[in-house]
Amino acid sequence: MRDALTNSMRASHVLALVLLAAGLMFAAFGAVTNDTFYLRLATEALIFGGLALAVDILLGYTGLLSLGQAMFFGLGAYVAAVVLIAIPSFWLAFGAALVAGILTGLIGGFIANRVRGVYFALITFGMAQVVAKVIYNTRSLGASDGLIGVPIVKINFGLFAVSSDNPVGFFLFTMAYVGALYLIAAYILDTPFGRLLIALKANERRVPFLGYHATSARLAAYVLAATIASLSGALYPMLRGFASPELLFFATSGNAVITVITGGAGTLIGAIYGSVLLTVIKSYVGSWTEHHLIVIGILFMLVVIFLPNGLMGVVRPWVEKLLARKTRS
Amino acid sequence: MIEVLDYLQFVLAPQVVTGLTLGVAVILVALGLTIIFGLLDVINMSHGEFYALGAFMALALSWIGVPFWLLLVLVPLAMLPIGYLVERSLIQRVFNSKDRHVTTLLLTFGFGLVLEEIIKLLFGPNPYKPETPIRGAIEVFGIFIPNYRLFLIVAGGAVIVAVALIVYRTRWGAIVRAAAFDRHMAASLGVPVHRVYAIAFAFGVALAGLAGVLLAPIYSVFPTMGRDFILLAFTVVIVGGMGSIAGAVVAGLFLTQVQAIASLYISPVWSDPIVFGIMVIMLMVRPQGLYGRLGHA
Amino acid sequence: MSGPVLEARELSIRFGGLRAVDNVSFAVERNLVTTVIGPNGAGKSTLFNLISGLARPQHGTVFIEGKPYRNAQPHQMQKAGLARSFQITNLFFDLPVAENLRLAAQVLEPKRLWTMPVSASRRAAEVVEQLLERFGLQDKAGYLAGALSHGEQRRLEIAVALACRPKILLLDEPTQGMSHGDTEHTAGLIRSLTSDVTVLLIEHDIGLVMSISDQVIVMHQGQKLAEGKPAEVRANPAVQTAYFGHA
Repeated sequence: MRDALTNSMRASHVLALVLLAAGLMFAAFGAVTNDTFYLRLATEALIFGGLALAVDILLGYTGLLSLGQAMFFGLGAYVAAVVLIAIPSFWLAFGAALVAGILTGLIGGFIANRVRGVYFALITFGMAQVVAKVIYNTRSLGASDGLIGVPIVKINFGLFAVSSDNPVGFFLFTMAYVGALYLIAAYILDTPFGRLLIALKANERRVPFLGYHATSARLAAYVLAATIASLSGALYPMLRGFASPELLFFATSGNAVITVITGGAGTLIGAIYGSVLLTVIKSYVGSWTEHHLIVIGILFMLVVIFLPNGLMGVVRPWVEKLLARKTRS
Repeated sequence: MIEVLDYLQFVLAPQVVTGLTLGVAVILVALGLTIIFGLLDVINMSHGEFYALGAFMALALSWIGVPFWLLLVLVPLAMLPIGYLVERSLIQRVFNSKDRHVTTLLLTFGFGLVLEEIIKLLFGPNPYKPETPIRGAIEVFGIFIPNYRLFLIVAGGAVIVAVALIVYRTRWGAIVRAAAFDRHMAASLGVPVHRVYAIAFAFGVALAGLAGVLLAPIYSVFPTMGRDFILLAFTVVIVGGMGSIAGAVVAGLFLTQVQAIASLYISPVWSDPIVFGIMVIMLMVRPQGLYGRLGHA
Repeated sequence: MSGPVLEARELSIRFGGLRAVDNVSFAVERNLVTTVIGPNGAGKSTLFNLISGLARPQHGTVFIEGKPYRNAQPHQMQKAGLARSFQITNLFFDLPVAENLRLAAQVLEPKRLWTMPVSASRRAAEVVEQLLERFGLQDKAGYLAGALSHGEQRRLEIAVALACRPKILLLDEPTQGMSHGDTEHTAGLIRSLTSDVTVLLIEHDIGLVMSISDQVIVMHQGQKLAEGKPAEVRANPAVQTAYFGHA
């Protein structure tokens, strides 16, 4: 008998492959037409997809609504920007964002995990506000302007190198990077530890009687989500050349929540699809009105009311059935 | 000695008055939030946008010549059907979903986004500065208080007292409290719970609109005016205790004074982190806030 | 090993002025079925909560195999070898039946497997298969727990408690709301469990109590009123008055 949740995760992988294929085609098209704008936009969509991935680990798997996940995304961006301005080494910036994600995740998790339910949503919201305002007020971090002048980095893989100012190269790199974050998250969520998180979402009160320390598990989930958000944020200054306080604001956190809900919470790949979808809507609707948020807001409300499992909630069960049929025959 | 008195008169006292003005307005907004949470269990993320809507309604009506005094009545009245409709058509739709807290939070968040953008569409992104309806200042114990601020404190204070009296002393308030305490019990006793919810939501939204009218002449009016303000109101509700009216009043006065004093002694830019820090600490040590929930105390 | 597997010593808790559990002591011998009976409000479920770590006793200690546990949390009691079911069905309703069991069973796996995909947790998978069969839920393995009938959910509730291979199993009204046939079947199941575990039971069905219990503890108004073999307890005049309402 095939494990139903493992099967669901495989269905997500199939959908990830579809997206990967589309991404490769897009990159080829961008290379041929010598495009910069749309490749950069798509790269940004993937980076924010990484943030949404972090939100989904908490919301879709552990049952925790974080309204302040942008805090870790922004911290990752700032840490990477600071490092890159001093020493333009990708791996150093990556390591620093990794460490920063784990450490701030531990601190934030310690604070946020003291409360449950709506209070968790509000405390994550409050924490992010405090940190955002502190950064906004810190002159050495560029205050309201943010950190500007992040140099172009060469990401060295030994055999080859990718430069952050090469639109096609950096897009492909970002796709691999966010894809790796997705695979790591998917792997972890399919271990007994990941199932424990799913159990927390399903019925937190039953979990301790099965012999698990619920608080530790929740903290671990929080640290994982913080680290993924921080590592996603680290790419932002490489793409745009700056890190600004807006990255930590509620608008960014809220946008990540919209992304996950629209794409489909609890599917992981829905976070990336959601980010791509919202970026497409934004740039398409944005081409004839600057008020694209009306469209996105209404879409979001419709999804909350009529499609509580989001886009992937419609698509993925279909793929699951296909997979289940294939293994049976 | 003289310097101390001068300091109190010219530096500290005006700051306290500024804090008090903001305090009264924030309490009006927080009262709506806390009643909605206490009764419906809904975190209304669009509350800040309702506050902005109130301010813009007042602005638009004043352009066509409606006097300020009438706005104080007209705008909250106009907000009532809007709130009622939003509750019936949006919130009730997901009210029985499994995770009501999160679903209603998301839905009102989405609605707030749309509302803010519609305001932007109609009025543009730039701030307006309405005229002060009452000019001049009055001297109280040697402290100059602008007449309008004094009016705001007195009128707003009266509304707050009236709200408390309605909730705690009238039959209607008793119904609301009964529904907040146990909706099933209230429903079985013949309370039209769903209508009570919609009316309470509309009432909370009207209070936010009133705060918008009152504050518009002091702060400018712009589409995102609700964002920062609502954070303060949330902090007040959390510190006071989600769903507590007394808590909202006490916490509202306390936090706006903290903010006013902090901007005087530390720096205006640090007053926000301090206030939000208090919110986080409060959630950590006493998530239920200073006072209990509506209907439970 | 000799001595009682589970012992409660002077357990007490009061809620406000109410002595919910008042100075209750008892011992349970290995591989027996011990049933706690008593009228509603006698403190039976509260007693279970005190033993399983859901509530903290204001006084008293729980011993498992002679080792004292004071103010232990639920997960610590589980580690000590105690598992429980709930009077109000407490399952992972949104997850498949098999996953409900697997979650309980995966605690048996060595730490090393916690960083591997669940497909590597062979032992948990075996436990799941065994329990599905034993509790007659094979056909329902892929169903969501929330989609089961009441009787099936009650059976799954026991199976989940059993999945982590406890030494002591606390069952809080396992047959609550079950049909007569299901009750009989469940009684047989509980009886068959005693080869591996010690069962402490709360039950209202007196016929069932008399037929499956080795020992009966009667509670009344938070206190232990009587204790003994089913027949002895039934003959006890104090029990007759308090529990059956007549002497």
